[in-house]
Formats: sequence, structure tokens, C-alpha cells
Amino acid sequence: MIKSLIYKEVLVIFKEKGTFFWLFLLPIFFIVIFALIFGNQKTSQTVHYYDADRTAASQQLIETMQSTAGFDLKYDSKKSLDSQLASLKNGKITALLVIPEGFEASLNAADETSPTSLKLYRDASADMTIGPIKALLNNVVSIYKDQKITAALKESGQTDVEASAAIAPPIEIQDVAEKAFKNDSVTQYVPGYTIMFVFFIMTTMINSFMRDRGNGMLSRLRSTPMQPIHYLIGMWIPNIIVVIVQCTVLLLFGKIVFGMHLGNLFALFSVVFILSICATGLGLMISMVSSNENIGNAFVQIFTMGGAIVGGLWYPWDLLPEFARKIGVFLPHHWAQDSLQNIMIRGANVEDVWQGLLILLAYGVAGLVIALLRFKKFITSSVS
Amino acid sequence: MTSVLKVDRLTKMYGSKQALDGISFEVKEGSCFGLLGPNGAGKSTTMKIITSILEPTSGSAEVLGYDIRKQSAAIRQQVGYVPQEITLHNKLTAEQNLAFFGEMYGVKGATLKERIRVVLEQVGLADRGKDMVGSFSGGMKRRINIAAALLHRPKLVILDEPTVGIDPQSRNHIFEMVRELCREGVTLIYSTHYMEEVETLCDDIAIIDHGRVVVQGALDELLERYTTKAVYVEGIGLDGAPEAEEIKSVVQEGKGWRLETDEPLRVMKAVSERYEKTRATITALEMMRPSLESVFLSMTGTSLRD
Repeated sequence: MIKSLIYKEVLVIFKEKGTFFWLFLLPIFFIVIFALIFGNQKTSQTVHYYDADRTAASQQLIETMQSTAGFDLKYDSKKSLDSQLASLKNGKITALLVIPEGFEASLNAADETSPTSLKLYRDASADMTIGPIKALLNNVVSIYKDQKITAALKESGQTDVEASAAIAPPIEIQDVAEKAFKNDSVTQYVPGYTIMFVFFIMTTMINSFMRDRGNGMLSRLRSTPMQPIHYLIGMWIPNIIVVIVQCTVLLLFGKIVFGMHLGNLFALFSVVFILSICATGLGLMISMVSSNENIGNAFVQIFTMGGAIVGGLWYPWDLLPEFARKIGVFLPHHWAQDSLQNIMIRGANVEDVWQGLLILLAYGVAGLVIALLRFKKFITSSVS
Repeated sequence: MTSVLKVDRLTKMYGSKQALDGISFEVKEGSCFGLLGPNGAGKSTTMKIITSILEPTSGSAEVLGYDIRKQSAAIRQQVGYVPQEITLHNKLTAEQNLAFFGEMYGVKGATLKERIRVVLEQVGLADRGKDMVGSFSGGMKRRINIAAALLHRPKLVILDEPTVGIDPQSRNHIFEMVRELCREGVTLIYSTHYMEEVETLCDDIAIIDHGRVVVQGALDELLERYTTKAVYVEGIGLDGAPEAEEIKSVVQEGKGWRLETDEPLRVMKAVSERYEKTRATITALEMMRPSLESVFLSMTGTSLRD
């Protein structure tokens, strides 16, 4: 009987067009859109400048800045300074670096004690954009300072080596990258949106249970030799199958279309399987405790979307504010994403993601237990 | 004749609302038993208790010799229940829907395949087995809904309002199917609020209202006991209501009169003789069939349709 229930429910789910839309088409759409937008994101930042000096020194300054990776200096020779400042005022550009007339002369002045000024005009509302530009300028200022100190040390009779040693920083940063595969927007959004849309299986489950309760199917099945627990199992397992198929399709889509690295397949399947138990266990619980379809689906929306935000499915976990991470760590979304990313990016195996698996399983089991406790009431409400 | 169903003082409470108030009745083997009553009278609750979907608050019932409280599993094996609601999946074919219900009753493999073929023929939809149920009319869906309860060859079939909102063709199919099942020896309990259906199909009836059995017995006996015979006359140029010694009362009805009497044939003769002598033209002169509406009216003081 369980087999018959499973077969029937699988047929019903896969013949429902809405299933394909919610569980397959919509996540693929989101994955493609976000991967295209953020995958091809321009990494260099444009810095507009106006060179009023037009000397070798000002040109050297521009070249020094230009040589820094991540910045693209742009000079519009056709526009006057006033015109460019007007563009800044209108919000068309966020910053304008002005090299004043007499910049070279000021640098070369032997007895100059006050520093040569560069003016950075900026849009006061664009702090996030200005930050990196200021860091660039501070770096350039630091280079000029080192040159000045080196020249002074040489003048005082020190050799090149001695002068270099004197200005060498006492601390250096060593960049040590652990073993990792490509970590980019694809490894953020493909598992992220896969997990988010996995939780929408709860909507499918709520709709199925409410349908059977509302149209008399459950009542009718109670008149057959079927045991109530058979019904619960028969309605649960098809959704586990659907989630596994859904994850397989979406992750393979990521691999085939974006070349995403899947990592250890056994570990990956383990996460997918436990995630399917987690999402469907919670789906059973919500179906049993909700008095109607609208209440159940409203809860699913809040849980799924809210969990996606604070669980690090939409943004990298490290970029989330502290308070969001404090909430996210209690949600299955985070642990599913963390486990999948560890497998895909850091080459983790099952034993490396046991903590995430255990937490996901705990959520699923908790959902199942609550569903079982509420099942009798659900059955009774269907026949009275 | 043995009883397949004995209901004894059943009560059912939904919270503080009393749905059944000590109903008792019996159903004879091989009969078509009509459970008649207005909406909300307690018919569906009674049927759900008989099929052990619901538990009664008090009282007892035996179905095919099995106690509904202690032997519900045995009852479920041998009873086919057709609910008022259409419980089919529109995205599945008629055969897929029937296969699902057949398996729920424990019918499998080649037997199930054969039973699906037979029941589809019984409901007159043998050529639509592979079509999606979503493409069916309401009447066709009702027929498949009934077919789903016949797959395991039940000894007792319970039909709860099986003809609500369907076309005449499907209604006729259902009537014919009910008659055929009765001929095969299957006992049927037919719940409806359409008294004409009970009059057409059933041998015995129970009229239920406000959770109580108002009256029960053989249909013919009840009609004989609780209704007055009458003659209806209608014509052109009639000079007032007909008069005759045998007429107990005259009620104007439509364009004519209903003449209540214990001797309808004598009244008909008297009326025809009287108007033969005048120039009036009689357009209708017929014996009125006693109806369950009259039974319900005489027992409850209200119309069944109220």
C-alpha cells in the first residue's frame, strides 16, 4: 500500500506544472541571472581625474596610480574642470581627483616644507565607492613619502641598500592560500538557490495534505484497509525523491553550464539526502500543524526567504553582519550551504561535514516527531 | 432474511453539537436501502460511522456481522464506500485512479487489471480508461468515483449522495448500475435528499431528520400507511371543483384540483360521468402517486425541501 501511495503521489507531483516551475525552472532562472550578473562583475574601479599641471611629474603620478590593480583611471580631455565638477554635483560621477597647476614645481621645490596638495572631490553619499579610492591615494602618498625619505638618506651619505633597509616596513603579510577550488559567484549562487528552493518542497507538501483533507480523499482512504501511518509515509517519501531529483538537476546544471566543481560525490549526495529529510520533515510538521493552506504557505515563505538571507544563501557568509550570522547559525539553510561549499570549494569529505549533516538531520527528525504527534488530530479533522 | 447492517442507538457529538441522536435501523441482505433526509440531517455521519471512518459517541453497529468498534479492519475489506466528494486526481487517467484505489483495497496484478476493465464497463466508461479524469464531465467523474469502490467486490456498497450535480445520462447510468448490483446480490445503502431516487431504486428506507430516524420500513408499506390517495383533475370550462361522496378533501393545485380519497377509481368514474353531461372538456384525469414527500410531511410537519 505504501508503494501504491508513493507511486500515485510521484505521478501527481510530476504531472503538476507548478512543481516544475517552483522546484526547477525558477531556481535555474535565479541561478542564471545572479551568476551572470555577479560572475561577470567588473572588478576594476573607475577613478576620474583632471590634470591641470600636465607635466612629467603629474603624468608619473597618474602612471603610478594606473599601475595599481583594480583601478581604471579616466581622463576626459574634452571637458573643463567646471564641467566635470558639475557632473559630480549631478551624481554622474562619484569622485574626481584634481592635480593642481604647479604640482611638479611644488614637488621639486627644495625648501618646500608643506606638502603638495591633490584635491579629491567626492559625492558625500558614496562612501562605499570612495573608500577604495582613498586607500589608493594613501598608498600613492606613501610611495612618494618613501621616495622622499630615500633621497634624504642618500643625501646624508647612506648607500642604496642602507636607505632601502631603513624604510623597509617591520611587518610583512604572507598570503597563504589553503587548497581550494574556484570560489566564485557560481559556488555561492548554485548551492545557495538550490538549498533555498529545496525548502519550497514544503509548499508542495502542504498543498498535497490540504488537498487530500479538503476533497475527502483522506476520509475515503480511511474507509479502505490502509493504515494511517501508511498514508503519512506514502506522502512523505515521494517528496524526498523530488528533492533529490531537484538537487541533482540544479547541481548538474551548475556543473554543465558554469563548470562548477562538485567535489566528492558521495559527500555531496550525503548532504543532498540529509537535506531532503530535513526539508520534508519540516514540511510534514508544517502540514500537520497548519489549520489551512494559507497559514502553512505564509510560514514557508518567511522560513525559506528569511533563512536564505541570514543563512548565507544570497550573500557570502563572511559578508553578513554579525547579528545576521548569529541568527543564521541556528537555521538549516546555513548548515546546508556551509556543507555544500566545503565539499565543492575546499574538497571536504563526509567526515569533514559531519556537524552540518547532524544538524540538518536533527531538524528533519524534530519535524517528523512533531508531525507524528499531530497526525491523529489531522486525520480526525479530515473526517468530521 | 439476514441483516447485513444493524445500527443500534447510535449517537455522535461534534463538540457540543449533536449530529446523531440515538438512531437505529436494519438493512436486509441484498436489498437497496435508502437513507433519506435533508442536508445536515446526519446521513453522511451515519455512513462514516458504518464504514468505521468515524467512531460513534455511543451506541453500536454491526456491519456484515462485524462490530464497528472492534473489527473495523474486516469491515473495510468488504465494504465499498463512495463519498459525496469526488476524490479523484484530475492529472491521472481513469485507469490510474482506479488502480490506486484498487491497490488500497489490496487488489493487485492481473486481478486488478481485470477488475478495472469490468468496473469501467459497469459505469459505461470502458472507452475512456486512458483519458485524464480532468477532461471528464462532472457526471463521468461521479461514475468513476463509484467505480473506485467496486474494485474489491464488496458485499456492501455505501453511496453517499452519488448523483449530486450530474447530467441525466450519468444519472441513468448510475441508476442502472445500482439495479445491476442489486441483481448481483450486493447490498446497497443509498443516501440522498432526492426522494424520487429513493422511490425509484430502493426497497426499504429510513427517513432521517435532525439526527433521528423519523420513520423506517418497506417503501410500499410506508407510502400506504402515511399517504392519502388522490386524483388530479384539470379541464376547460369546469364549473367549480368536482364533487363526489368519496372525496375527502379538495385542494387547488396548478390549473386543476387534487381530490383526496380512499377510493380513487370511484372518484375518477364519478368525475368523468359528471363532466360527460356538461360541455366541459377534461384535459387531465389521473391517479396521483403517493410520494415520500407526503410521508416526510406527515411525520415532521415540514417539507423535505425546506
